[in-house]
Amino acid sequence: MVNVIFIIVIGLGAAFLLGLLRENWRNAAYALTIGSLVSMAWIAARWLLFFAVEGGTTVEVFTAGTEPPFAINLRMGIAEAVLLLVVIFSGLLSAVYMSKSLFRLGGRAMSVLLVFIMALCGIILTRDIFNLFVFFELAVIATAGLLLISENKQALSAGFKYLIISQLVSVFLLIGIIFTYHVSGSLNIDTIAGVSLDTMKGIGSLAFFFMLIAVLTEAKPFPANGWALDIYESAHPAFSAMFSAAMAGSAAVYAVDKLLLIGGQQWLPVVTAIGLLSFVAANLLALAQTNDRRTLGYSSVGQVGLILAVIGQRDILGDNYLFIAGGILLSHAVAKAGLYWISGLIGQRNLTDWAVLRRHPMLILSFVSFIAMLSGLPPFPSFYAKWDLVMILATENRLWILAFILLGSLLEASYLFRWFGYILKRETPRQEKNEVENKSPLLSLVPHKLLVIFSALATSWGLAYLWGELSAYDNLFYALPLLFALSFLLLEWVSVWIKNTLAIAGMVAYFVISYPLYDPLQIIFAAIFLLGGAVILLASYHVHGRRIGFYPSAMLMFAGLAMLVVAEDSFHFFAAWEFLTIGSYFMILRGKNSEPHALSYIIFSLGGAFLILTGFALAAQGVVLFNLGSLAHVAAPIAPWVFLLLAIGFMTKTAAIGLHIWLPGAHAEAETDVSPMVSGILLKAGLFGLMVLLMNMGKQQLYGIELTYVMLWIGALTAFLGNLMAVFQEDAKRLLAYSSIGQMGYALFGLALMNQLGWLMALMFVINHYIYKSMLFLSVGGVAKRTGTRDMYKMGGLIAMMPLSFIAVLIGIIAVSGVPPLSGFGGRWIFYNAILSSEYRLPMMLIFISGPIAFLYLFRLIHTIFLGQLKDDHRQIKEAPFWIMLPQMIYVAALMVFAVVPGLLLRHVDAYLSPFFAESAARGGLNWQGLTITSDYGYWSPIPIMVIIAIIFALLFAWLVFVNRKAQKVKQFNIVYSAERPFRPETTHFAWNFFAPYRKAMGFLIQPFVTRFWETLTELLHTIADLFRRFYTGNGQTYAIQLLAFVVVVYLFRVEF
Amino acid sequence: MQFEWIQIPYALLTLSIIINFGLLMNAFVAKIGARVGRRVGIPIYQNYIDLIKNYGLRSSITHGVMFYLGPVFRLTGGIGLLMFVPTIYGSVMFSNFSFAGDLILALYFIFFGTLGMALGAGESGHPHAAIGVSRGLSQVTMAELPLALAVFSIALQYNTLSVTEIVAAQQGGVLNWTLFTNPLAVVAAMLSFLGSVMRPPFDVVLAPQEIPIGPPTEYHSSYLALMQTNRVIFPIAKMVIFMNLFFGGADNWPVFFVKIFMIYMFAVFIGVVFPRFRVEQSIRWFLIWAVPIGILAVIVV
Repeated sequence: MVNVIFIIVIGLGAAFLLGLLRENWRNAAYALTIGSLVSMAWIAARWLLFFAVEGGTTVEVFTAGTEPPFAINLRMGIAEAVLLLVVIFSGLLSAVYMSKSLFRLGGRAMSVLLVFIMALCGIILTRDIFNLFVFFELAVIATAGLLLISENKQALSAGFKYLIISQLVSVFLLIGIIFTYHVSGSLNIDTIAGVSLDTMKGIGSLAFFFMLIAVLTEAKPFPANGWALDIYESAHPAFSAMFSAAMAGSAAVYAVDKLLLIGGQQWLPVVTAIGLLSFVAANLLALAQTNDRRTLGYSSVGQVGLILAVIGQRDILGDNYLFIAGGILLSHAVAKAGLYWISGLIGQRNLTDWAVLRRHPMLILSFVSFIAMLSGLPPFPSFYAKWDLVMILATENRLWILAFILLGSLLEASYLFRWFGYILKRETPRQEKNEVENKSPLLSLVPHKLLVIFSALATSWGLAYLWGELSAYDNLFYALPLLFALSFLLLEWVSVWIKNTLAIAGMVAYFVISYPLYDPLQIIFAAIFLLGGAVILLASYHVHGRRIGFYPSAMLMFAGLAMLVVAEDSFHFFAAWEFLTIGSYFMILRGKNSEPHALSYIIFSLGGAFLILTGFALAAQGVVLFNLGSLAHVAAPIAPWVFLLLAIGFMTKTAAIGLHIWLPGAHAEAETDVSPMVSGILLKAGLFGLMVLLMNMGKQQLYGIELTYVMLWIGALTAFLGNLMAVFQEDAKRLLAYSSIGQMGYALFGLALMNQLGWLMALMFVINHYIYKSMLFLSVGGVAKRTGTRDMYKMGGLIAMMPLSFIAVLIGIIAVSGVPPLSGFGGRWIFYNAILSSEYRLPMMLIFISGPIAFLYLFRLIHTIFLGQLKDDHRQIKEAPFWIMLPQMIYVAALMVFAVVPGLLLRHVDAYLSPFFAESAARGGLNWQGLTITSDYGYWSPIPIMVIIAIIFALLFAWLVFVNRKAQKVKQFNIVYSAERPFRPETTHFAWNFFAPYRKAMGFLIQPFVTRFWETLTELLHTIADLFRRFYTGNGQTYAIQLLAFVVVVYLFRVEF
Repeated sequence: MQFEWIQIPYALLTLSIIINFGLLMNAFVAKIGARVGRRVGIPIYQNYIDLIKNYGLRSSITHGVMFYLGPVFRLTGGIGLLMFVPTIYGSVMFSNFSFAGDLILALYFIFFGTLGMALGAGESGHPHAAIGVSRGLSQVTMAELPLALAVFSIALQYNTLSVTEIVAAQQGGVLNWTLFTNPLAVVAAMLSFLGSVMRPPFDVVLAPQEIPIGPPTEYHSSYLALMQTNRVIFPIAKMVIFMNLFFGGADNWPVFFVKIFMIYMFAVFIGVVFPRFRVEQSIRWFLIWAVPIGILAVIVV
């Protein structure tokens, strides 16, 4: 094993050597730099191997051959090895990345770089406080030097401001060291840590405070970090990458970690508080940023804050400390460095300028992987780390910390995903030809820079795999559906036909293999998710080309859904939940105008997901693999809160009223075949979650309020308001989207009834809603495709042009409205039987009125599009493409079959459900004997109903044909019109604001209070962010005062020891 | 109860009785109205003549398939509704096809004809048709609510959804009628009834003076004849439900005729007295007067 000291020696030696080389031996200098970095990395890697694989133990290295306190000692353990690798690799890759600049500046710049990296390694390795100070000083000076690599003029002033701050920091650190030495008589961290706390009281405590605050300042905590942000903004991106990943994210936080050995437990809350404040505040302020590098700077501050908070929680993290802190730290290092490196490719500094990346799938993949890492999404290390962290915080009852961490994460995800939306959806900036000479190009794809970025990408996925292996749970990479989804990333180059066929085959096959494992309830959901998804995918055949990005996203969503159904414990359930959320987000974002809607979708979804996470964490109370069935055994004081958190989380997905505002835009703006997937299929995931929750937890009371009763009201209100809002939409897809809100309200209502029939009704809605909403979205999508608009009033009279679409919509609306003989009626019938056995009466009222309101929008949908007056533009229109029609016809058939024999599916579920309601089963399920379905109250025979209606209809039709056999089709304007001829179709088609009188009467109910609430909240956050952003004036003196103020405030607020 | 072939002729018999009764009753009501206005009025057989005339008319055009099917939907709705509810209590002969479904089936099937008719009228492309449908649908959302509440209330009261059982529970004296055992529900339902018979003050849907008869504007000859037939059957089918639910049903035809006539006259009386409401006015009226009674009925039952 190579001695650790060689890392320092090589770095320092090479730096000196570089000074000796002749100025114009640039190649040799560069080779020396890279060579020494590679050998340093090799040493670190060898040690890591020694610790991780060969089971080695921590090694102490004594310089000068003597033990401390007579000489400085270095320590090499697994944590140090990892951090050294991070530092050296970020240096190495950055050196490759900025080779051009380094060549330009020559050997001196390279030697400064080496000193920087060496100093950071020293900070990590040393166990001596004075030595720590020396290495910090080296790092500071090197930083100031490296800042000059940037061509940006501001970098100079940023460097100067940094020096001012550094002086203060050095003073604090030195004072701290002097007094610590005075009190303890030692400079060795471990020796001082061994000194009894009593000795350290008084002046010792103050001395420690100075040291801690100095080292903390190097981690750039909010608000004493204006200088750091200026550096991030103006430095060369490759340096910012090192500055963020290696200096702040690795060396400084590790120094804090080491120093805390001296201070002991009592200082942990201080570090936690500073970390949390930085995490939340930096992410909040980042909302108002438009400069990409400054945004990344804020994000860095936030992430380092999060790591500090984790360090502050080390007293409860126990054996998981390294796993959690490491997961977050490495995610931050790789992702932030990667993002800074990408920023170096881009010529302009506005966030929206990143739209130039759009045509480069690999860069987009890199960007997505990096922001997913930062946001803590699976399968990346930060996901496992955050999961464990949240579990432990909840178990230890540190709920405030938990809340702040999740809040900060949500804020961070908001601006990161907003940024991603810019990349995919904003106008690609154009550059005039004459501008090219004086400005840098918009996007410069330099091979060695790309190599650096892609190596970060590879590292991110490698770490994801590694953390899966290390975690106490299964590695998510071993989940077959996920692998299947990811494999589509490799297939991006083949055509849609092949990919689509593979996708359909895969989904059907997975259903078939898993079939024996499902219970009846799971069969229903799995069938909708997998088989149902396959049917909708048939429509995707209409797209030509390669459709890059679609299949990985779609398959990720379906993988999440498939994993959700069979998830047995909370970890797998939550991971599946995140997968389906991300996959669906990418799919929604594909829509032409869906940028803001996809953003609000992901924010609401992640918010909901965090509530679910907290709920599970509270419920688990430290159990590693928390079986979902154990939700039933959660004890009283926590149980209702768990219920509440999970229920709100799931209701976010089903778009219950109040949490619904993301849905209309997201569903309406999505692509033709995506809308049915996210509406017909995805919404059911929330219902599935609610079913799992209710089945296990049953009724819960909070402050004497029955929570299921509240849910009953929410369901009823959602059904009512969702339907009412649908009535007033002009956009056909928005109408359907609001209708989905209403339908989910019905299903929620059914579940909240908490009786067997209610659940059966909910399941009936699950099945029906999948069929007819998928069908309607496809029909409307097909029509929109042909007419080029989604505004219904611009259509009209399309029945003759698109008869099959008309039939699909007709069958669909009859089914939605619940008119017999189609299957929607079954849902209504079960509903009436369910409410009769319920103990509640009032919420039903809202459901009663929702039914007829549905007629309004349904009639409008079919009338305004297909009936009425045909427009001149549409006279040559053709039926929707075959592949869009095919699934619709399958749905028509399915609706018919389900209408006639609902028992095929439902009787098994009914039987399966009855044990769950056994104790309350004064009223049982249904009797499915023979043709008639009977309940305790009434009866229903689908087949005779169908037959009777069909016969009457056929007879009357025959009669009309007989008496009216000579009827002839007349032209469009041949109507009774006061003996005149209408002027134009546009003025004759009564369509716009179709329900004007209804708006007059009921419009007051649909004031957009909820939308306004969320908008105000968003506005408020942005205003606050904008206000506090001004706090960073850019003036070095101000920054110095801020730092002093920070020190004083922390001192005053720290717990008195 | 199961299907037997003999039920088909029985059902046809019911249907023919209802059609004849309806034709006569409509004419009779029209005549009463005329006499109140000091006019002579139509002869009592006038409806027969109109019907035969319309079926016989040769001029017929169509605006398309849905236009053609509209009246078929409409009449299927009327006849079907009649067939799904037992007409005469205790009679095997006149219980029709009520084995196919309970009260809920009947209530939802009401919309079948309305929907089909609205679609047919829509295809005619006449703006008045669309305006009429818009008004009708708007009004029905609130007009149906008290009825739904009343039905919920009496389903709770009798603990069943079977029409036959509800009628059975009301036997044994006038005081056993729902009218007396659950008056709030009956009041709510009867107010709702006003909204569904297309008489003033709730006839803005057809509004002959403003939008020449609304949805059916373009219908003529045999289409119109089918719809006229429905206009005879449908209100009676609906009133059969009301009679069964609230007024003790009927165990023979004379009682049936009297009760149906009385229920109908309730709407007629109100209609003669009040002027027409606009849509938003009628919605508010139902919301303020009828719905609270319905809610009360649900709470106190």
